[in-house]
Parts: sequence; structure tokens; C-alpha cells
Amino acid sequence: MQPILKINLTTNTTEEFIIPKEWERDFLGGASLAARILYSTLTRDLDPLAENSPLLFINGPLGGTSGPTTGRFVICGKGPATNLWAESGIGGFWGPELRKAGYDGLWITGKSLGPVYIWIEDGKFEIRNAAHILGKDVYETQEIIRAEVQVKGARIACIGEAGERGVLYASICCDHGRMAGRTGLGAVMGSKNLKAVAVHGTKKIEVENLERYSVLRSESNRMLKQDNEAKIIHELGTAGVANYAEYLGAMPAKYYHQGSFTGVDNISGSKMTESILAGFSACQGCVIACGRVVNLGDGKRKGPEYETIVGFGPNLLIDDLVEVVRLGELCDKYGMDTISASNTIGLAFHLYEMGKVTKQDTGGLELIWGSVAAVRELIHMIARREGIGEMLANGARQFGAAFGAEDEAVQVNGLEVAGHDPRGVSGMALSYATSPRGACHNQSDYFFVDFGHTYESIGITYFERQAQTEKAANVAKHQDWRTFFNSAIMCIFANVDPQMQVDLVNAACGYDWTLDDMMKCGERGWNIKRAINIRMGLTAANDKLPKALLEPYNEGGAAGFVPDLEGMLIAYYEARGWDAESGKPLKEKLVKLGLEDVVKDLWN
Amino acid sequence: MSAIFPSEEWLKELETKLNSDAHYAEIAKNWEGDIFIVMEPKGNLKDQITVYLDLWHGTCRKVEYNPAASTYPAPTFTLSSNYDDIKDIVTGKLNPMTAMMTMKLKVKGNMGYMMRNVPTVLDFVRCMRDVTQEIM
Repeated sequence: MQPILKINLTTNTTEEFIIPKEWERDFLGGASLAARILYSTLTRDLDPLAENSPLLFINGPLGGTSGPTTGRFVICGKGPATNLWAESGIGGFWGPELRKAGYDGLWITGKSLGPVYIWIEDGKFEIRNAAHILGKDVYETQEIIRAEVQVKGARIACIGEAGERGVLYASICCDHGRMAGRTGLGAVMGSKNLKAVAVHGTKKIEVENLERYSVLRSESNRMLKQDNEAKIIHELGTAGVANYAEYLGAMPAKYYHQGSFTGVDNISGSKMTESILAGFSACQGCVIACGRVVNLGDGKRKGPEYETIVGFGPNLLIDDLVEVVRLGELCDKYGMDTISASNTIGLAFHLYEMGKVTKQDTGGLELIWGSVAAVRELIHMIARREGIGEMLANGARQFGAAFGAEDEAVQVNGLEVAGHDPRGVSGMALSYATSPRGACHNQSDYFFVDFGHTYESIGITYFERQAQTEKAANVAKHQDWRTFFNSAIMCIFANVDPQMQVDLVNAACGYDWTLDDMMKCGERGWNIKRAINIRMGLTAANDKLPKALLEPYNEGGAAGFVPDLEGMLIAYYEARGWDAESGKPLKEKLVKLGLEDVVKDLWN
Repeated sequence: MSAIFPSEEWLKELETKLNSDAHYAEIAKNWEGDIFIVMEPKGNLKDQITVYLDLWHGTCRKVEYNPAASTYPAPTFTLSSNYDDIKDIVTGKLNPMTAMMTMKLKVKGNMGYMMRNVPTVLDFVRCMRDVTQEIM
């Protein structure tokens, strides 16, 4: 891979960080490589919003090669709401553009005295004043900067007002609504007074064996175009699965307290396609094009994906798709994660219903389920940290704690749970409880496996959707598989055969990996992130689920079921080679993965 | 005695089942659409077999064994798979969702409609399994 450009915004100094070859070979790229690079930097006493907190934008070895869904990059650091490892993958065109500009990463440290943006073009860079862009939304910001750099093809990653004001789930946006939403890295960027990073490059992106790679690229993209899942996601968007998820009781409603939602037909991906869909959008080189373009009668705009639909739909008992589109757009413009925002707002509604949050707390706002106006107002208040928005801006865990009800918050380790309920698809219990970045559905989208998606060639098989401990080892394998994805970096919607994945990596990097090597790379990445978190204070006690997810629903496809998390964790630790008491990876496991230096940090 | 899968007799038994199964009638009460199932040669199957079913509001209005593709040029859905995988589906060895998600079963048709009606499709498969005792 190419060098990483390291910029210290305090001193305005730069250096090129050359990625050690053995790190590339062991961790491949993306989030796992970032974890290796930042391993010694991410310490327990590091304040995620302090000057010395790192923010690393990084590519993978397939980035921008037009391989199957390889237009993505990832942003990593320490999460301001979780105080743990943070990573957030993002699509669009920015990552490939950075590669074309001659870098495979951008490592930001320090803090600028005033607001700035960085402009990188073909190996050169400058830091520019951004005072005039403060307060602009993410789309206005991109327009202004693109006009200033006078390069039509410039790609811009930026924050909105939420990032500027340190909303702990602020996102980073590039292109039209592609968001690094999770873990609040927009707040880290804002804490550095960094409004945006614009990039443009003209360099050709190279792979080791172009002839071989070209053949594989064509073949894999052709297969992807024919794939049933890809067709569904293209035609219906990621919300195409909404009806089925609701049927299974896997789509939470009323802040995870209602197991079915009769309005699902009004907000599903099928409904969007039949009503307001006006076009598609795709990340660089992607043949799926999951992005929605919708027309609400006042112009075309980004349409929502599954998470936004669930968060602002059934989660708040809203069944009006047009309103869900507008609420999602509002979050995007402010630059805040729709999952965390809608979850935290859902908690406010829930506590209001319980009488713990009062009208006095809300400044007179009535939090009645289904009230679009109230939700809209809360989004404004969060982004501006006004009134109750000041507390909501700190996420569900802190908001719950402020009202003596932390256990009501549906979050794990400070990251709000996404829209896949482990009572309907039990594998998500382990996915959420053991994810290195808090309750995350992308470190292992195991709900797809619980729906029936298997990968037999790498040992990921099917267990009944509400099976318990017997699926623990399967979840671990799936996490390793997805950690490889997040290293490569590829989208989870790329249903490409594992052997084809290895072949693509081998052709791009000049390796001779087997499927086992690929899975070991994923396992190594998973374990180094675990080690980072343990060094930052995580213990086995953190591997848990919130109260709501351990209470059975009375209705719907998951009625009466709760995951046996305790039993699943015992089986999971055993499968992982982790110590049952402390949750640490055992010495032998670390050595087997080539992480000898981690042994002394975890085991003295 | 049950008919052997796949055969014209088996298809008739399936038609009877679909028109008499209370659970299917309920879950498929809103379904409107005909299905063409294409079994591609593999294993014991040497020549392609197709079956056609016209499914309407929880009933089966018509079936036809091995019709020419031109007879039903635009079915609502065409489901294609090789014989071994189809055999595994109808004998319960292969989860139909797994078959679809791993491309062992190819689906052509209106995906929006399909995703709204996955439970109906799964119950249709249950009925297929219920009438399948012997296989070729």
C-alpha cells in the first residue's frame, strides 16, 4: 500500500508514515491495519476529544480497483461515547480519490487554533481556513469547498454542525449522503477544528497482477449482478428486508418494547420502490447501487436505508415513509448518525412514557409516540446542544444515566443498538455483546446468517434463527469473515464467494493466501481490537446486552423468546480462545496469531 | 401411496395440498401470481423439467407439468435450480432461504413483491415438502 500522510494540526507539520510490509501482510488493510497502527496510541487515559487523540482515515488494498464493492474506506480512532476502539466504514468516492492522490491513509493528530480544512491534490497538501464554512451543513460544505479548490472531481469528507458542537454520535459525510455514522468520529474531527478534507488525484491505482485481477474483477462483478441479494438490494434498497425482519420479530418497534409493527408495509423498501423512488446511487465501482434517490415532490434527495427507516419508523411508531425520509435527511445534513440519534430519541420517548422525563425537562415538548414534529424538534436541539438536546447529544447511555435510568438505554458499551433484534435473530446477541466498537451490526451482520445465508467453504453454517449456545462458534467465524471484509475493505452486501475473495486479494497484493489465511487475518484483526479495548479498560463484564433485549416480546414473530446470553458467551469464549473470567485472549491464542507483543501488555 | 418427485402425479398432489391446506390458505390469502419452476439437469435428472403453478389468493388455480416456456412467457416468478439442490429443498435438507441467499436457487421476478411475501413462499415450500415422500 501507499504511504499514510500524517498531519499534526497543532504544529502544522507533516510526515509520511510507511506501513511496515509485515503489518500489511498480517492485517491486510482497513480497520485491522488501523488497529495495528494505532495500537500503542490508544491508551486508557486518552481523551477521545483531546488534542493528542488520533483520527485515521485509511484504505484497503482493493480500494478503488472497481472490484466488487471496493470503493470504501474506513475511519478509526477512539470513540467519544464509548471510550473504546472506534471504526466507521464509509462508501462514496473519497477513499479511491485519496489513493489516486498518492496516499492510502490520512492520520490526523493535534488541534488547529481555528477552523480549517485540508486540501490534498496529487501528493501535495495545504491547510486552509474554514471559518466561513462553520455552521454549514454537509452538503453546503462540500459545494463551497469544491468551488474554492476549483476542481470539479474533488471529493470531500466533512462534518456538519453536530461534529462542530461535539455531538457524541456525529458522523463524517462524503459525497451525497455516504456517512461514517457510527462511533462519533465526527466529534473527534470537530474537536480538532477540522471541518473537511478535500482530495483529488490523477494517479492510477495499481494492483500486483493486473491481468489476473482484471479477470477476477469482471467475473466477480458479473456474479454479483446476478446475485439474488444484490438484486433485492438494488431494486428495494437495504430496507428491502424490512417486511421479513418484521415477520420474524427481528425489527424492533417502540424502542425495543414492541415485537411487531402493523405499519411495516408503509415504510418498507418495497413501498419506497413503488412510491417515491426516482433513481439509484452507487459508491465507486459498485454494481449493486444500494443508494436510493427519492422524489418527495420538492426535488430529488437521498432516500433512507434500513437502519434509518427502522430508527425513525417503527422505533418511534412512525409509519409515514416521507416523514422518515425527511428526518433522516435532517440528521445527515447536521452530520449525525441516524442509528444513534433515533435510538437516543427513542429512549427519551420511552422515559417520558415512564414519567422519568417530564415536560419540564423537554422545554414543553410532548414526547408522544408517533409525533414527527417532536422528533424533528429534538434533532434540531441535539445538533445545537440546546435544552434537552444538550443531554441527548451525549448518547443513550449518558442520557439514561442523567435520569437515573441507564439500564433502560438500549446500548452496549456506549454505542446504541441498531435495528436487528436478537430476540428474532439470536446470533445478534453475541454480535452486539462482543463487538469491539459497542452494539454494532456491521462487525458481524449475523442476522443474514440467521435468515439463512451460509458460507459453507469457510465453515459458516446454518443454525435455527433462535438457536442458542450451539451457534456461538459460528458467530465467531462470521466475525472473523467480516473483519477480513473490513480490512479488504468491502461492503457487507457483496455476496462474493470466499474463494473468489482470496483470489482477488492474492491478485491485488501478490500473496498466496488460502481460505485459512484469510480467516486467520480476520481473527487476528478481531483479537487486536479486543486487546486495544482491554488495555482501555474493557473486561468480560462489558460483554452484555441491555435489559430490554433480555425481556421477551408479547407479540410478533419473536414472542416469548430471549437469547441465553450467558450460555452463549461461555461457548463463545471457548471458541475464541479467550479467558472465561477476564475475557482476555489467552496467551496461546495471541501467540498463534502472531501477536506476541500483545501478550506482555495483556498478561504482564 | 405418494407420487415420486418430480412427476405429473406429484404436481397434482401438490395442487390438491395447496387447495386444502388451511395454513397455506391463510398465509397466502393476498398472493397473486404464477410460478415457473425450472429444474436443471444434475444427478439423477438428465433432462430439464419445468412445472407451472398458478397461485391465487391462497389457492392453486392451475398446474402444468413440463410446459414449453413459450406457453407461459411472463410468469410472475421463475425459480431455477439444479435438480440436486431442488431435491434438497423439497426433502428438507436445504433451507429455501439459504438456497436463495447462496444462489443455489435463482429468482427472477418482482423482488418487491417477493420480499413482501417471504412467509407465503416459505409456506409454499412446506406444502411441497409435505407431499414429497419419494424422490427420483
